[in-house]
Amino acid sequence: MDELDETQLKNHVDSLKQQLQYNRDKTSVSLPELTKWIEEKMNEDPFLNPDILKDNPWVESSKCVII
Amino acid sequence: MGEMEQMKKEAEALKTQIEAARKAAHDTDMASAASGVAPAPRVQLKTRRTLKGHLAKIYAMHWCTDNRLMVSASQDGKLLIWDSHTGNKVNAVPLKSSWVMTCAYAPSGNLVASGGLDNMCTVYNLKTPVIKTVKELDAHTGYLSCARFLSDTEILTSSGDTTCALWDLETGKQKTVFLNHVGDCMCLSLSPDMNSFVSGACDSLAKLWDIRDGQCKQTFQGHTSDINAISFYPSANAIITGSDDCTCKMYDIRADQEVICYQDAALNSGVTSLDLSASGRLIFAGYDDFNCNIWDSLKGEKVGELKEKKKSLSWREC
Repeated sequence: MDELDETQLKNHVDSLKQQLQYNRDKTSVSLPELTKWIEEKMNEDPFLNPDILKDNPWVESSKCVII
Repeated sequence: MGEMEQMKKEAEALKTQIEAARKAAHDTDMASAASGVAPAPRVQLKTRRTLKGHLAKIYAMHWCTDNRLMVSASQDGKLLIWDSHTGNKVNAVPLKSSWVMTCAYAPSGNLVASGGLDNMCTVYNLKTPVIKTVKELDAHTGYLSCARFLSDTEILTSSGDTTCALWDLETGKQKTVFLNHVGDCMCLSLSPDMNSFVSGACDSLAKLWDIRDGQCKQTFQGHTSDINAISFYPSANAIITGSDDCTCKMYDIRADQEVICYQDAALNSGVTSLDLSASGRLIFAGYDDFNCNIWDSLKGEKVGELKEKKKSLSWREC
C-alpha cells in the first residue's frame, strides 16, 4: 500500500468497502454443491470415464502412419 | 493524523472485517464436504503428439474452441497454428517483436493475438488470403502477460503495469481499465458466462472483476508469492491458482475464501501453468522443475505426474 498515492489509496479503501458487502454463502452450502456438480460432470470427463476415451481423436486409427 | 495515514488504517480495518466475515462463513471444510466421494483414480498420461517446429522457447499456447486447432507462441518470433489431430502446421505468423509471452485464439477461430515485452497486444486475422495484422493495441505501460478474446470485437489483457484492460477491437482503444492490483498481473481467466474474469498477480492476490462495471468484486489471498496461473472452474463457482510459492489453491467464490491447498513437502518449484479436466475433478499443474503434477481437486492428493524433459507450459484436454 505504500506505493499508492492519495487517489489510489482512496479508491483502494472504497473498493474494500464494496468487497466487504459481498454476500458470502456458508461453506456448508457452497462446498457440497460444488462437490455434487463435479461428481455429476465426471461422467462426461474423458479422463475419468473410460467409455468416452474410446472416441479419442488423438489415437492412431491405423497401424501405419504416412510420414 | 495525516489523510494518508487515516486511509491506511481504514484499509487495514476493512481487511480485518473481511477476514472475520470469511471466518463466519467457514462452517465446514472441503475434507468434510468431499468425505463421501471416492478418491480419483491414478491418471496415466500418454504422449499422443509431439509438435515440432519452433526454434526457441515456447512461452504460451491456447486451444481453439473446436478442440482441434491450437496456437503456440515462441521467442523464435513466430506464432504457429497447429492441427493437433494431424500434427500439421496450418499457419505461421511472423511477429514484429520476438519477446512474446502470451497468445490467444478467438472463440470464432478467425483471429489470434499475441503480446509480450513490447507492451502491446497484436491481433491477426487468420481468414484473409494472407494473414493480416488487424490491430496493435498499445496503451499498457508494462509487458503483456496474458490475453483472452471475448469475441471478435473484444479482448481482455493483463499486464506487468499492474492493470488489466478490456479493449474494443474496432477502435483499438481500451474500453475499461481494471485497477486494484499492486503487483504485475501475470494471468487471467474468463468466467464461462463471460461476465467476469479473475486475475492473478505478483502481489500474491487473485481478484474477481465484473467486466461491465470494471469493479473488483472479490480479492482472494493466501498465496505467499506471485500467482503465475489461474483458471475458473467449469462450474464458475470456484477458481484454481498456481503460484511461485509451489502450491495451487482452490478458492470458493460463493464463500469468498480459500478452501483447499494442493501442496507436497517434496515440491519446491513454483507453479508456472495449470488447467482443469472437463469436470474440474483433475488439476494439471506445470512446475518450474519441468514436471507436471495431476491433483484430485476434491481430495487434495496427487494422482499422477508427467516427467518431461521440456518445461510444461499450458495444456488442456478435450
